[in-house]
Amino acid sequence: MIPLSWYLILAAALFSLGLFGVLSRKNAVAILMGVELMLNAVNINLVAFWRYSAPEVIAGQVFTIIVFAVSAAEVAVGLALVISLYRRRQTVIAENIDLLRW
Amino acid sequence: MDFFTEHLLTAILFSPVVAGLVLLFLPGEEKKLLRVAAFIGSLIPLALSLILWFRFDPTATGFQFEEQAAWYEAINSSFHLGVDGISLAMILLTAILTPLAILASFGISDRVKAYMILFLFLETGMLGVFMSLDLLIFFVFYEIGLVPMYFLINQWGSATGERKLWGGMVVPARTYASFKFMVYTMGASLGLLLAIQMIGVVSGTFDLPELYRSWTSLSGTYFGLDIAQVKTIAFWAFTIAFALKVPVWPFHTWLPDAHTEAPTAGSMILAGVLLKLGAYGFIRLVLPLYPDQAKYFAGAIAFLAVMAIIFGAFASYGQTDFKRLVAYSSVNHMGFVVLGIAAAALSVGTENAVIAMNGTVLQMFNHGLSAAGMFFLVGVLYDRTHTRDLTKYGGLFPLIPVYGGILIFTSMASLGLPGLNGFVSEFLVVRGAWPVLTLHTALSMIGLLFTGAYILKGIKSTLHGPVNKEWIGHLKEIDKRELLVIVPLMALMLWLGIWPGWLLGVINHTVTALFG
Amino acid sequence: MATEQLIWLLPLPPLVSFFLIVLLANRNKALSHTIGIGAAFLSWLAGMVVFFRAVTGEHGLHGLGEHPLHSAMDWLPLGDGAFQIGVNIDPLSALTLFFVCWTVLMIFIYSVGYHNFGQPEGEHDQKGLPPHGATVTDEHGHQHTVLSVEPNYSRFFAFISLFAFGMFVLVVSDNLLTLFVGWEIMGLCSYLLIGFWFAKPSARAAAIKAFMTTRIGDVFMLLGLAYLYSAAGSLSYSVIFSPEVLDRLVHDAAVGGFLGLSAAGLIGLLLFIGTVGKSAQFPLHVWLPDAMEGPTPVSAMIHAATMVSAGVYMVIRIFPILAAGAEHGLTPAMTVMAFIGAFTALFAATIAVAQNDIKRVLAYSTISQLGFMIAALGIGAYVAAAFHLLTHAFFKALLFLGSGSVIHGMEHGVLHTGNHDVDPQDMMNMGGLRKKMPVTFWTFLIGGFALSGFPFITAGFWSKDEILADAWAHGHTAVFWTLAIAALLTAFYTMRQIMLTFFGEPRTKEAEHAHETPWTMTAPLVILSVFAVAAGWAGIPEDFPILGGLVANFIHGVSATLPAAMIEKAPAFNVIPLIASLVVALGGLFLGWLVYRKYKAGATDPVKKMLGGLHTVLQNKYYLDELYQATFVRLFNWISEVFTPAMDRGVIDGFLHGIARVAFSLGGIFRDRFETPVITGAADLLGNGVKGFGREFRGIQSGRIQQYMNVVLVIVVVLAVFIYILAQV
Repeated sequence: MIPLSWYLILAAALFSLGLFGVLSRKNAVAILMGVELMLNAVNINLVAFWRYSAPEVIAGQVFTIIVFAVSAAEVAVGLALVISLYRRRQTVIAENIDLLRW
Repeated sequence: MDFFTEHLLTAILFSPVVAGLVLLFLPGEEKKLLRVAAFIGSLIPLALSLILWFRFDPTATGFQFEEQAAWYEAINSSFHLGVDGISLAMILLTAILTPLAILASFGISDRVKAYMILFLFLETGMLGVFMSLDLLIFFVFYEIGLVPMYFLINQWGSATGERKLWGGMVVPARTYASFKFMVYTMGASLGLLLAIQMIGVVSGTFDLPELYRSWTSLSGTYFGLDIAQVKTIAFWAFTIAFALKVPVWPFHTWLPDAHTEAPTAGSMILAGVLLKLGAYGFIRLVLPLYPDQAKYFAGAIAFLAVMAIIFGAFASYGQTDFKRLVAYSSVNHMGFVVLGIAAAALSVGTENAVIAMNGTVLQMFNHGLSAAGMFFLVGVLYDRTHTRDLTKYGGLFPLIPVYGGILIFTSMASLGLPGLNGFVSEFLVVRGAWPVLTLHTALSMIGLLFTGAYILKGIKSTLHGPVNKEWIGHLKEIDKRELLVIVPLMALMLWLGIWPGWLLGVINHTVTALFG
Repeated sequence: MATEQLIWLLPLPPLVSFFLIVLLANRNKALSHTIGIGAAFLSWLAGMVVFFRAVTGEHGLHGLGEHPLHSAMDWLPLGDGAFQIGVNIDPLSALTLFFVCWTVLMIFIYSVGYHNFGQPEGEHDQKGLPPHGATVTDEHGHQHTVLSVEPNYSRFFAFISLFAFGMFVLVVSDNLLTLFVGWEIMGLCSYLLIGFWFAKPSARAAAIKAFMTTRIGDVFMLLGLAYLYSAAGSLSYSVIFSPEVLDRLVHDAAVGGFLGLSAAGLIGLLLFIGTVGKSAQFPLHVWLPDAMEGPTPVSAMIHAATMVSAGVYMVIRIFPILAAGAEHGLTPAMTVMAFIGAFTALFAATIAVAQNDIKRVLAYSTISQLGFMIAALGIGAYVAAAFHLLTHAFFKALLFLGSGSVIHGMEHGVLHTGNHDVDPQDMMNMGGLRKKMPVTFWTFLIGGFALSGFPFITAGFWSKDEILADAWAHGHTAVFWTLAIAALLTAFYTMRQIMLTFFGEPRTKEAEHAHETPWTMTAPLVILSVFAVAAGWAGIPEDFPILGGLVANFIHGVSATLPAAMIEKAPAFNVIPLIASLVVALGGLFLGWLVYRKYKAGATDPVKKMLGGLHTVLQNKYYLDELYQATFVRLFNWISEVFTPAMDRGVIDGFLHGIARVAFSLGGIFRDRFETPVITGAADLLGNGVKGFGREFRGIQSGRIQQYMNVVLVIVVVLAVFIYILAQV
């Protein structure tokens, strides 16, 4: 077997990429993509830990499925929000949505 | 009922305040109601004072009707009231003049409620000074009287007139007058307050009867100075505060401005009672507490008194404003009061001191009556002509003969015509002062001479001479309300001139006990 | 009623009359004069009863001197005792009471006619101005102007009632304080009465002049009273004239060693200055001639019968103090009095010679005669002074009332002709009035002769002769000759006055149309002339040739008022002063007749021709009024109008304003340099700081999610490092 750490590094890398995307992308949809990436990175982490620490306990896989579900729901809602926002503001650039500023 | 008799002084003292509070709840637009209510409210202290008068025992020594209640126990100051012959006379004067002044104020129609309430509070302040037997209480009431007076002058004072100050600043005359009066008096009282504090610290009490006993025999060193030096400094602090109030020359310049710009009733009370607060302070506090310093400096004080007599008369004679003429006459008459005080200070224990002090206290009472009367009469004329300029009058006697006769009568009382009240007191002061302050008394005769001059000038400019056509048909005779104000004063002036014994007897007993 | 009670009540009717008239009877003329005259009559009655009881008691006047009618009570409680006031009738006050009662009553009655009671009211008459006359239409339709009634009629009676009260108080009082009270009340009334026609500026000014000039004397007198009171412990006559007190006053030095006088001397001088003012002696005489502005009854009352007499009465009263200490010579006070009296007598007589106004002549004559009395007292002639006081009151009142009658007659003429430029008081416009006004003429003649000292049959002769005799007998030659010359001038100007007024032909139309005045005016003249003749006979010296001893010398008894030690016998009869009296009196009268018997209208006054430039000086009263005006009056006006305001507003207020300015500028500096930058600045700093910080800091809330997430990331990293490090430690 390949060491756990490889999976973790992969997950971390993906997480960081996702984080970078969230923090730096302009387009709201791209941010959501970044969020997806982070969630999937978390999934990889979860599965890796499950496989290497307690493969007989099914909780790890279940947790991962839940995360999938949540991420799907969240993307759906998020995209709905983005569309609603686009319809109001004619823009999907996150930087421009600053109504809650001081 | 018992409460009243046991606390008669407190009742007299605070009944005006209670009356004022009652007025507070009356509607502000009902001017007539407010005036009548204020007048009736001011009659209560008068009635109580008369009760006090008749229950007072003239032959007993010491203070009567004493009341004492705890106040600032930590510094040994209590709410201590009491009267003797001298304070009784002054209380009577205040109680008589205030209703008359309120009656004289019926012509005021602007913010009647505030005016009347202030007046009643003022009465409490004045009564408090005369009754108090505790130094702190004395000071409190002494200063409290300033505030209502300030507002009375500032808000209801003469509408026209300006004073030009430095830097092109121009202020309304009444603002100037009220400000000068208040700040000047308070400034002089600073020393008084400090000296009072010092007395309290050094002797441990603020109670006057106790101080009379203990203060003069104190010895030792305080604040790094010998007791005699401390007393001298305190003496001057007291003296300057009271000298300003009396007023003694050269601290008198607030008086012409304040008296002239005040409303008629305000001037009546200012001249009638407030000036006496200063003289009373001398008699009650300075002379008993600092007999040696008073004796030592009596010559200087007498000199200032003579300056007041002489220059008050001269200044009065040179005026063209009738009210200012009467104001300076107050300086002139109070000069005699101070001369008597100085003479008494010099000769304590002899007959001269008794006679001089009798004359002084009687002069205080008499001047209160005649000054109030004169200011009222000036006000009567002002109400009709809206000017105080003597050159604008002229030959008014045929137009207003009753007023003319009353003016001549009151002027003669002011002048000290024998047969009217002013003469007895002036004669007693001159008699008391001559043996101990001969040169001063002789010089004060110059002032007495010019008293005649300015009184006659007032009469000449208003009543005599060719009739000034401007006023024919436009001058109303003195009316019933005004007669109601002046007739009691005239009756008292005549009565005191012919038979002063009823008042002088009470004063005499106290004076003999204190200064004889 | 006991006499003492009567004496207490004596002054009251006029006082009651004053109040009644002022308060109730002001509009009703008849009621006013009835009340006034009724009161004067009551006092007269009481006075006569008291007088007769006093002088017909045991031992007559001498007994009265030793046992005066006296009653006193406590008035001012002072110390353990009281100052007492009371009433006292001794020979001097009895005598004075006599003439005061009579003259006052006569003047009251006269005033009814003088103010034209019963005449119609003038159309243009104003209160405060003399009446101008009323137009009446008679039965033929002709219009005449007649004298109109005085508009302020009631007020006049009120004032003279108060005046009478003052004089009575003065006469009956037993102490100097109530004397002073009466004195001053009369001063007030003289002010009110001289200024009776107050709308006239000249009357207004004269009233003030009278009041102020006498007030100068009064303030000195007040000092004297205070001094006497403190030195003697009382002001009652029985105390201050007692030998013990007099002795003490003589031996004590005056306060401060003033001029080396004794206490008695200084007190006497101070009190005498009061008389100098009140009795119009030089240099305070200037008010009396101006006082002629008042109605003539006023002049008679004030300047003959009562007020000026009060001054002399007072010095006669205090004679024991003035004379104390000098056994036979004169004390300093007496020397001063003799000098001033004699000087004034001569001085005023010279001015009288040059006056044309009938009342002015009498005014200066009064000053001069008062000088006689003062001089008499100054040389110690106590009885002579009192005697002359008595006679002078009668004949001078008579003369003044007579002059009023003359003026009335002239005014009638003026109204008749309608020429108001003619001064009815100017003697040059008169002449020949003896035919038009016979009663007035004869009574005036009697009065004039009495004034001149016409021998034997007039009162003035006896009293004046007594003064001269006394001066001669005690060797006061300077006083003697001065008074003799003054007497000569007196007779001369009196005759001049009589000649100009009554003799010759009427010099103007107005004089032609004069006629006699009503009985209310002439009856008092007649009564007073009886006294002007007879009063002298009560004082014929005992050792006078032929006539002496015919009538008991009643007047001499007045010396019983003095303490026994001071009573002097009358001087022995000497023919020289008698001859001098006769010469000056008859000579003066003759000269006057001689010079003026041929005087015609429009001619220059013969006196003017004789004296030339001196006449102008005399006519202008030696320019004293102008001198006083230029010096004292200007000085006092300057002090009160320039100096004192400059001192008050400039110096004292300037000082105060200076303090105020310092306070203002200090406050400004404090505010600008400290309070605003530091304190307010600090407070502002706090607020502004927070505000600024907030403004800056809010940038944190950009509304941009990515930014928030950036921050979260940073913080998480920092925290993680921090916790990692902490975990290591």
